[in-house]
Parts: sequence; structure tokens; C-alpha cells
Amino acid sequence: MPSESILIIGGGPAGLEAARGVADLGYKAILVEKRGQLGGTPISANYAALTHGMRDASEVMAEIVAAVSGNPLVDIRLNATVTGSSGAAGDFRVTLQENEGPAPVEAGAIIVATGFDHFDPGRATQQYGYYEYDDVLTLQDAEAMLKEKKFVKPSNGQVPERVCFIQCVGSRDRQIGNEYCSKVCCGIASKQAIEIRQLLPQCKVFIFYIDMRMYGYWENEIYWPAQEKYKVQYIRGVISEIVRKGDRLMIRGEDTTMNRPMEVAMDIVILSVGMEPSKGTKEIARILGLAQNKYGFIDPAHGSLDTVSTSVEGVFVAGAAAGPKDLDDTMGMAGAAAMKAAGLVRKKASVAAGRS
Amino acid sequence: MPIPINIPVKGPAAPTKKGEFRRTPDDAPEDLKAKMLELEAKGEWIVQRVPEPYVEVQTKYGKPKKIPLQHTWHHKSCGQCGHIPGYSTSIFWLHRKLGLEYNDPRDQTSCTAWNYYASATSNSAAQAGVAMRNFAAAYETGYFPQIHCATSYGHYKEVRSELIHHKELRDQVREILKKMGKPLVIPEEIVHYSEWVYAVRHEIAKRQVLDLSQITVTVHPACHYYKLVSEDAIYDPDVYGGQRTAIVTGVVEALGAKVADYSTWFDCCGFGFRHILVQRDFTRSFAVQRKIEVMRDEANPDVTLTHDTGCVTTLDKSQFAAQAHKGVTAAIPVLSEAQFAALAMGAHPYRVCQLHWHSADYHPLLEKMGIDWRERWREFEDDLERLKKDPGAVMTWDDADAAPTQAFGAGTRPHPAHLAHGGR
Amino acid sequence: MATGTGTGASSAGLARATSGGRVERGAEPPFEEKLRLFNEVKADLRFSDYLYGCYECGICVAVCPSARFYDFSPRRIAQAVAREDVELVYEQMNGEVWECSQCFSCLVCPRKNNPGGIITIMREVAVKNGLHSAKEALEGYSRIIYKIMSTGTQVSPDMIRPDAFPDWGPTAKETADNLEVWRRAMPPDTMHTTSSSWEVDDKTLTELYLIWHLTGVLDMIKTLDESLHMILVDVMEEKLEEAGYPLSG
Repeated sequence: MPSESILIIGGGPAGLEAARGVADLGYKAILVEKRGQLGGTPISANYAALTHGMRDASEVMAEIVAAVSGNPLVDIRLNATVTGSSGAAGDFRVTLQENEGPAPVEAGAIIVATGFDHFDPGRATQQYGYYEYDDVLTLQDAEAMLKEKKFVKPSNGQVPERVCFIQCVGSRDRQIGNEYCSKVCCGIASKQAIEIRQLLPQCKVFIFYIDMRMYGYWENEIYWPAQEKYKVQYIRGVISEIVRKGDRLMIRGEDTTMNRPMEVAMDIVILSVGMEPSKGTKEIARILGLAQNKYGFIDPAHGSLDTVSTSVEGVFVAGAAAGPKDLDDTMGMAGAAAMKAAGLVRKKASVAAGRS
Repeated sequence: MPIPINIPVKGPAAPTKKGEFRRTPDDAPEDLKAKMLELEAKGEWIVQRVPEPYVEVQTKYGKPKKIPLQHTWHHKSCGQCGHIPGYSTSIFWLHRKLGLEYNDPRDQTSCTAWNYYASATSNSAAQAGVAMRNFAAAYETGYFPQIHCATSYGHYKEVRSELIHHKELRDQVREILKKMGKPLVIPEEIVHYSEWVYAVRHEIAKRQVLDLSQITVTVHPACHYYKLVSEDAIYDPDVYGGQRTAIVTGVVEALGAKVADYSTWFDCCGFGFRHILVQRDFTRSFAVQRKIEVMRDEANPDVTLTHDTGCVTTLDKSQFAAQAHKGVTAAIPVLSEAQFAALAMGAHPYRVCQLHWHSADYHPLLEKMGIDWRERWREFEDDLERLKKDPGAVMTWDDADAAPTQAFGAGTRPHPAHLAHGGR
Repeated sequence: MATGTGTGASSAGLARATSGGRVERGAEPPFEEKLRLFNEVKADLRFSDYLYGCYECGICVAVCPSARFYDFSPRRIAQAVAREDVELVYEQMNGEVWECSQCFSCLVCPRKNNPGGIITIMREVAVKNGLHSAKEALEGYSRIIYKIMSTGTQVSPDMIRPDAFPDWGPTAKETADNLEVWRRAMPPDTMHTTSSSWEVDDKTLTELYLIWHLTGVLDMIKTLDESLHMILVDVMEEKLEEAGYPLSG
């Protein structure tokens, strides 16, 4: 018996937008979220402003959540995970694990929106001392501080005079095995640099990079203002190590455009950590038998021509579960996934109706 | 040159609150051991297994490494045996004191890596040939290789990689060895002596007779130990949180001395292979400016310990010229951790640790460690007199451990002539 | 043809390797010769392990001790080879490559390149082809080559002399003055030697010679230093013959 419901796994931006899309198309969405709240990584990791556009993350997520909560066509299941699945396109039978115990769910199509995890900087090839020094942070650590509008040195609570970002931590690296680019960290670091300069006009901010990946309008909306209006210093040359010198951190690198080694003191170092498939993404791929690429992300079946279909008919993917994505990608994929899921459910239903 | 920044530095940072991190074997690069055994299964070579008893230690990604305790074939270091003989002697002495038997072969050549890195008057086939000839020689005795020099160790790890990945190289080396009647053998693990010292550090500590709690040590880890084939090096979650190699530091902590950090910990010592022989201004400037002066300014250690021939040589020998030039008074004595551990266990500073071959002044260190070096030197000078009178006579292991003529530290008036030349 | 007397190092490399492998000072070699040398570097079996691509991030320079004291850059070398810039590579082979201290700190490369390894190959090619820079860099080094090749250990106690190591302080003199008795005043019985670091069996030394003979190392020494080569060959061929190893092949 084909089901006309669409199961959406993951309540972050991709899952929420997909749920809204499905509901707008007139189909029932079952939205499953493992945490106790919706909003995904922007909420759980305390993002401040979103890249790009600089809108407040909590505000934006609240709007997106509002569009689905209270929507009669969206059945929200919090504190729920998917533990098993059987069936095929048009007629999936999925088991959820909720607080009250296991619960069966029927769906005609599934949209996987289980997102990414931030790269753990302890695995970095270079010596960044994230677990040794309090004042070495990740992008999400910095987001949390910026959200509170309080940007100080964790080691002693003092306002920093010099802050720097190190790009490509955990990405573009053959030794770690994450050879890809995580796409958003250049934009996010620049955005954070702007936020720090707004909060602390006396603080110097540097970004150490290999390439500045500022696609499309990020160039003129983020990169140029960061340099021109906010005087963020971009230096081409990645840092090889962070060591402590007194109560400051010493970073070592090469200023490649000037052709000389450099050693500079910093108060706070922010590691621009990349994206990796989340535990949820890897688990769901296993349960649903989805093809993954060698990095563990869900592999879209047709590359650029169809970014949301997976190797299993009836299962779609949206957002960073399929690889590094920015918010534009994610919202676009969510809509496409909702459209294709609804299209498939409708086709299967009409075939079944034709037969009966 | 680095851009100088003059910023006042205050106190050390507060300890971190980020919690624990562990690398996992999933993050490790290719599994060379598995490939090595696959090749054995195909008949490409013999893998000499680590004999029991062995200790398992953790490497960078959490994979275990077997360190044999005894029945080891000692692959000696030319720089050690030639210029810092107390280093090799201390390694042997530690084995003897722990009752762990070993083989000190004459059927051993230098790894020739110093020559290779300095002059490139060799090639990958010759280097692999030399390595595998030494390994075959060990195999023939039934003893398992333990490598004294970190450059030999790192170089042999490279050779192992090359042999695993390149069939034509394996074939070429096999043919060469066949002509000498030797099989193509690779040891299951390539073991550095400092890994052995790490593995037995608690046994050494049990036999310690000196209190080292007031001794501050800076550790210099050898580039060739942990930067070449970096996954095959000892890491310990209890040492630097598993984020830096635990080699040497683990031993110092076990002996109860204080380890002081400094901001050029990851820097090379500046040995340079070719430079230390024919262009020493580089080696000297680098060692003094990047390592010794930084250690002194930031950590003010009583001694710096390292675990490689080149590093001991560089750090020990580079200080004199800088002192003469700058009029700097105190040097930082430089020892291998083997010599330091031996001293801790009561070894004679001259008969065993052969400190008279060292350049940087170690006397204040010995005094702080509670060792009466004047008395020990008097004993050693008596040894030398005896040896001079009997050409062909040599010091034996029994001589090296002969009971001191006076108790340690007991107030004996030193011979005035000894004091005149600084007791050396 | 005699080699000219040098008037000073020039990293632009005024050397030409003739087909006999001898070096002549003279005009810049033709492009074909530089290309031939470049291809020799690429043909080494380790080359594909040592060079992938380079995105010029500078991490190798950040950790490099030689980069702090010389105008030396492992990044520029990796870049030059990756870009197949034959002219620049030739220049580097004739100068810069000898400044590398072979510490392999550059193995932190995120692309998994090995600039130190690439440099090792470039040096080998320089030596094999008798490039002038190789000879200059290895001036004064012959005694080390002689030591390793004739005794099986690379340095020896009798090399510590104040004229050889004046900057090592008074220890050098004291060691040299007392060498003979100091070497007997240590327990390990393989180490009572002065002209080698430890006692090496004759058979072992012969096996070492065989390795060098069969792998072409002696030929490399010939291009570098003819007289050294002659001495070594005399010593080795005698030993190899005595041991019954055929000298051809």
C-alpha cells in the first residue's frame, strides 16, 4: 500500500525547508529530529550571523521553524532517530526510536537532511594545540562567543589585541584524507572577522589562507568590505604551528607573497575547521543502503544534473549530508528534494490507483 | 628572517578545559604492516617477528607497536660510537643493568644515511641494499634489530616504505643480497633504542638512586624520529595529551624530573648533515639562536635531553663558539636520555657516560644531581694511568661498575692538580 | 679536459655536463641538456611518491630551518618541479638544493609532497652528472666519503681534531691529545677503535663494497672526484676479488 507521506530525517535548515516545501505541495511531512529542538547546527552550535547576508542565525531559524511548527501537514517528532528501514520507493517502512519506545512510520519517499559535523582540530596535520591552549578556537567556538557579543580570551577573560584565522583546517589535506574544499569557511571566517572588528575596533584581525574562496557575490559582499571597510589583513600562507609564548600564542608560517618566514604573536587563533559527514549521515546511509563517496558523504546519483537523488530510488538528500554546502545550496536542494519526493509519491500513488 | 615583534609576555596560560582528544586507527594512513605481511605471504621476503618478551606501546593513531625487551641486535651509530661514545655505552649499560641480553655486532655497517643526506653520493638501491644487508645480518644471528641513531631509524622507515611500494627495488635488492648468500628480510617493527628506553622506563625508575625532582629538563625530539613516516612514532595520552610525541618526555617524567616547555619545541636542531661538517655557521647559528637561547630564556633548564646522535652533537658542540663570541656564561649541558637514565641509576659519569667527550659544561648539572664528579674524575684518571702503563689493555664492563673508592658525595679533598684544570 | 678553477659560486650554474659526465666551466648549457637533467629527476622511481601538486601554501617554508638562514625555499623548488620549469629547476640544482638540511620537517605538506625528497633526487642527479655545484658543495667532503667507503662507518674518533673543528672548543684538542687511551677507556668491546667508530668485520666491509659496486654508487663518485674514485676502486676491487665476487655485473 503506497504511502503519501514523506519522511524527512533531520530538523536543520535543509530538513525544515524540505518539510515546508512538502507541505506547500499538499503532502504530509513527518519530520524526525534527534535533538530536543529544531534548528540543526546553526542553533546547536550557537551560530551568530549567517553567511552571507549577516542576518542573525537564531532569528532566521526561528522564522523557518515557525513555518512548519503548527503546520497541520507537518508531523514533528523530536528526540527521535531512525533505527531501521525496509520496503521500497512508494512504500517505505521505517522504525523510529522515540522517548516512549520504537514507533513504525510509513512513507512514500524519504529526504535525508542529517547534515555535517565540524572537523575535530585535534586531527589536524599541523601542530595547532587546540587541546593544549584555551585561546585556540574553532569557528563554532567563535560563533558562540560572537552570539553573546562577548569576544574575550578564554584563558584570562581579557579583550584580545590580535586575532587571526587559519584557513583550510581539516580540508584540502591528503594526509588527513579530506582532499575536498569545505566551501564555506573562507566566507564564514571573513564574516566573523567583520563581526570581531565591529565589536572590538581596536583589535587587529588577520586571515591566513591558501586561496580565498569567495564565490559569486561573496566577493563583493564579504571579501571586499572585510578588507576595505573593516581592514581585515589577508596574508597568503598557512600556519604550521601554534606554540605558547608567555600568555600569548606564537604562530609560524610563511608570508608567501613576500617570500619570507614569519613568526607573529596572537591573542586568539581561530581554526577554520571544515565539514565532515555527521555521525547521523553515516548511520542513515548505512541503514538505508545509500551510496557514499570515499569521504562518507551521501553520493548524489547524477552529479550536477541532479543534486538530490541518491543511489536508492525514493530516497533524496538535501544539505551538507551530501558534502560541503553553503546555505544557498542547502535551501535550493531542500526545495528540489521536496519537489522530487512529492513527484515520486504522486506517481506511485497514481500507478497503484490505476491498478486497483 | 622572522619579523620581530616586541610584545611583553606575562605568565603562563591557564590549563585548558576542552577535554580529551584521541586519534583513532581509522584516521591512520595506509597500513604498512598489513602490506608487509601480504608480501611475505607472496614469498617476496621474510618478516622477522619481534621476539618475546616484548612491550606494546601506542603510536600516533593508537595502533600498537611491539618493542622487544631483550635478544636485540644493536645497530650502532657512527656519530655516537665515534664522537659521543658515552651515548652507546649508556644504552648497553642500561640493558646489562636490567638483565636484558643483547648482541653488539661487528657484522654491521653504518646505515650511510648521514653520507646520503649530506652528499647524495648514493641512490635508493644502495641505501636499501645497506639497510637490508644489516637486517639480514641481524636475522642470521637470530637477534632482533634495535637502532641507535634516529636518522638511521627514520631512513630505514623510508626504505621500508620504498621497498613495499616498488617491486623493482625489492627485486634489485634481493638479487644483490643473493650474491652474498643473504635472504631478503625485514623486521616486523623498526625499533629505535629510545622506544626501548620508553618501554622500560618504569623499570629504570625502580632502580633509580638519585633524586631528580629538582632537575629541570627541556626535551628536544629528533626530526627524523617523528617527522619521517610520522604515524610510526610513540604517542601517549598521558604525555602532552597525545598531541606530541611522548618519546624522551615519558622517560623524564618517569624519572621524576621536571619537563619545561619552550616555544621552539618542534624546530630542527640544525644538524644539516652536510652543514655540520663543511658549513657549520648554519648549524651553529641555528642551534644556538633557535634552540639553546630560547630554552635558556623561556625554560632555564639544568639539562636538555634528546635521543639522536646528530641532535646531541649539534646542541652540545655549537655552544662554545657562541659563548666565546657573546661572552655568555652558562651553557646548557646536552645529554641523551640514555646517559641521563644511566646516571639516575648510579652509572659512573666518565666510565659509562663518557662525559669528558662532551663540550657544553655539565659539571653544575652533575653537582645538582648529587654526583661527586671530582671524585669520579679522579677514579677515571687512575683508570687512564693504568691503561697507559699497559698498552693493549682495555676497560671492561666490570671495571666500569667497580665500587667507588669513596662513597658518593663524601667529602674527600680533591687532588690540587685536578682542580687546576677544572677537574677534567 | 681539465676543470677550470672556480672564481666563486654562481647559482646560475655555469656548468656543462658532457656525454662523458665531466664538467666544464663555460657557457650555459643548451636547453636540451637542462631538459635531460629534468627528465632524469622525473625518472627516479621515488618521484611519483614525492611530488603530487603544489598549491603554494608555504607550510614547508614555515617549518624549514634552512629557509631561516639562506635564501632558500622548499616551496619554490616543489613549485618549479611541479610546473616543469626546466630553466628554474636547473638553476636550483646548481645551487639552492645544497642548502637543504634534510630534516624532513617539510613532510607536513598537506598535499603529501616531499620537498626534501625531491631535493635529494635533484642532488643525486647533480652528482651523477658532475654538475659544478655538486663539486663545490662537496668540497672538503671527500674525506667523509672516503671514511664511509673504506671503513664502513661514516665518522671516526680520529676525525675530532682542533684544525677540523676549531669551533667545538677545547674538547676537540683534549680528545685528539688523549685519543688512544680514551678509546681504550670504555667498556664496549667493539669500540676500542680510533680510525673507525666500531670494529667492522672484513667480510662486512666487502659486502658493503659489493652493494656500492652493483648499484652504481662508485660511478657517481667517479664523476664527482676522480682521484677519490681511483683510491676507492683500488681498495674495493682487491677486497672483492679476494672474496671471490665477480667484478663484472
